[in-house]
Amino acid sequence: MLSLIEAGFARPPTLAPFSDSLQPGELLAIVGPNGAGKSTLLSLLSGFRRPERGSVCLDDTPLSGWEPAALARRRALVAQSLTLGFDWPVRELVALGSAATASEIDAVLALLDLEALAERGAMSLSGGEAQRVMIARALCQLGLGRSEQTEPGQVLLLDEPTSALDIGQQQRLMRLLRHLAQAHRLAIACVLHDLNLAARYAHRVWLLERGHRIAAGTPAEVLDGRTLARVFEAELTVGSRQDDGSPLVLLAP
Amino acid sequence: MSRTLPLAGPWRRRVEGRRKQPRSPGQVLALLGLAVLAALLVAAMSGSVGLSPRVLLGEWPSPLAWQVWWQLRLPRLLLAALVGAMLAGSGAAMQGLFRNPLADPTLLGLASGAGLAVALWIVLLGGAGSSLGLYGQFLAGFLGALGVCVLVFALGQRQHGQEALFTLLLAGLAINTLAGAMGGVMAFIASDEQLRQLSLWGMGSLSHALWSATLGALIGIPPALWWLLRCARGLDLLQLGELTAHGAGLDAPRLKRHVVVATALGVGLCVALAGIIGFLGLLVPHCLRLWLGPGHRLLLPASMLGGALLLIVADTLARTLASPAEVPVGLLTSLLGGPYFLWLLLKRRARC
Repeated sequence: MLSLIEAGFARPPTLAPFSDSLQPGELLAIVGPNGAGKSTLLSLLSGFRRPERGSVCLDDTPLSGWEPAALARRRALVAQSLTLGFDWPVRELVALGSAATASEIDAVLALLDLEALAERGAMSLSGGEAQRVMIARALCQLGLGRSEQTEPGQVLLLDEPTSALDIGQQQRLMRLLRHLAQAHRLAIACVLHDLNLAARYAHRVWLLERGHRIAAGTPAEVLDGRTLARVFEAELTVGSRQDDGSPLVLLAP
Repeated sequence: MSRTLPLAGPWRRRVEGRRKQPRSPGQVLALLGLAVLAALLVAAMSGSVGLSPRVLLGEWPSPLAWQVWWQLRLPRLLLAALVGAMLAGSGAAMQGLFRNPLADPTLLGLASGAGLAVALWIVLLGGAGSSLGLYGQFLAGFLGALGVCVLVFALGQRQHGQEALFTLLLAGLAINTLAGAMGGVMAFIASDEQLRQLSLWGMGSLSHALWSATLGALIGIPPALWWLLRCARGLDLLQLGELTAHGAGLDAPRLKRHVVVATALGVGLCVALAGIIGFLGLLVPHCLRLWLGPGHRLLLPASMLGGALLLIVADTLARTLASPAEVPVGLLTSLLGGPYFLWLLLKRRARC
């Protein structure tokens, strides 16, 4: 279990300390306006930045106390963008950071509709394709291509994984993430800009505003019309879906 | 739409043929290793004194031939192989570290930094005449290369992508210019004897390779090569960007320290021993990357073997082209590498 214990940054980009934890099997959406500290929070959760206050612990051991290779088997990160210096074939890129076999790589590529691109050079991919390749790499790192059961208590962190995907790919990815969370007891934290994706697929939502986590809870609790309008400075209304009653965010014309 | 157009037969074959053939790393390295051995054999026999096996073994005893072979040719060949391997290997490692195919010890000013330090050492501190002798020259080369490496790295660290590339190339240009000018000043204030030593060394030549120099290379360069080889997996991970690489289990600051120190040690030694031999570190990894792909676990050892091969061949040419006179090998590699580099830039432009 990944826990934040009064963890935060005093120096910019700031993040006011708070405590919470990522539960196995849950899909958490981190939402908030540009510059609210979502990526900063993610780098804190991944251990890339050490908190100036408090601590971030995986299984009660601070992330900085983990051996890097052991930590890499337990948590993987998908960054916002991919900039490559050299033209890696997709298959080799996906295998970076794991000792995955060819069949494991094939399995992960299939999960993300990437089989046709396996031999392509990654520099020639479109934005959405590159994004899916990076997600595939992270899944491979956690050993999710294997048929046997994976290590328990794994964590997957994603920074805006849907930003370059078309609507069909968004749906397939969010369904895949939700499935992985449940089937492998994965704890997934995902920065999302699309509030409706968060409302539809996340079990829990954290709302960030200017370096403060101002709300946390189920989508219905957090995605409140008045709060969202104030935080995002947008004219919007929040309704509810007819099928499951989950919130539906609509922009005013 | 162009994607759905069926490709005509011959064109399709050409497109598909461009993808690298799956070859096992072992095969590639064995192939390159054999080529290096063959080049060593041929090079050992050619020169202003032809030393075929018949001369060495047939007219036995032939002390003069053996003396030439043992005292002059063997140390020189070993030095060429080691320096070539080091320059090409460090080129590949630098390119991986900067995630940029244009990084190279000469281009980034590493070699000229080492060169300047050696010039300072020769002129201001007495050079070979001092009690430290040749080892002082190694040390000066190492410190000069390390200084530039740290400086360039600090500059390249702040930016990313295209911007970082320009900063690096400009920093390299500035360091090269500065080192050139300082070298000029050193030449100006040097005594005649120092000037001779300086210019002999500065042209980039393996011609004064005696066992004393080769021994230094034998002691210093293999550990630096080994060190770089151990960084291969980390360099692969670093290609994902620092944030993702950290997530995949890489201790990036540690990797950078290792690559920087190993490169500075090796390149500093090379420059101290053989002067500035340009473009090897750019040329060899680039060609091999086109053939083998960008993975460092194969690219690094292959570059080392390829660099050794190229420098053995170039040095043999330098010895035989104008025999019994000699062309400085640094001149030769720059003549070869300069046009190639321009072609590379033109091609990059065309792709944008």
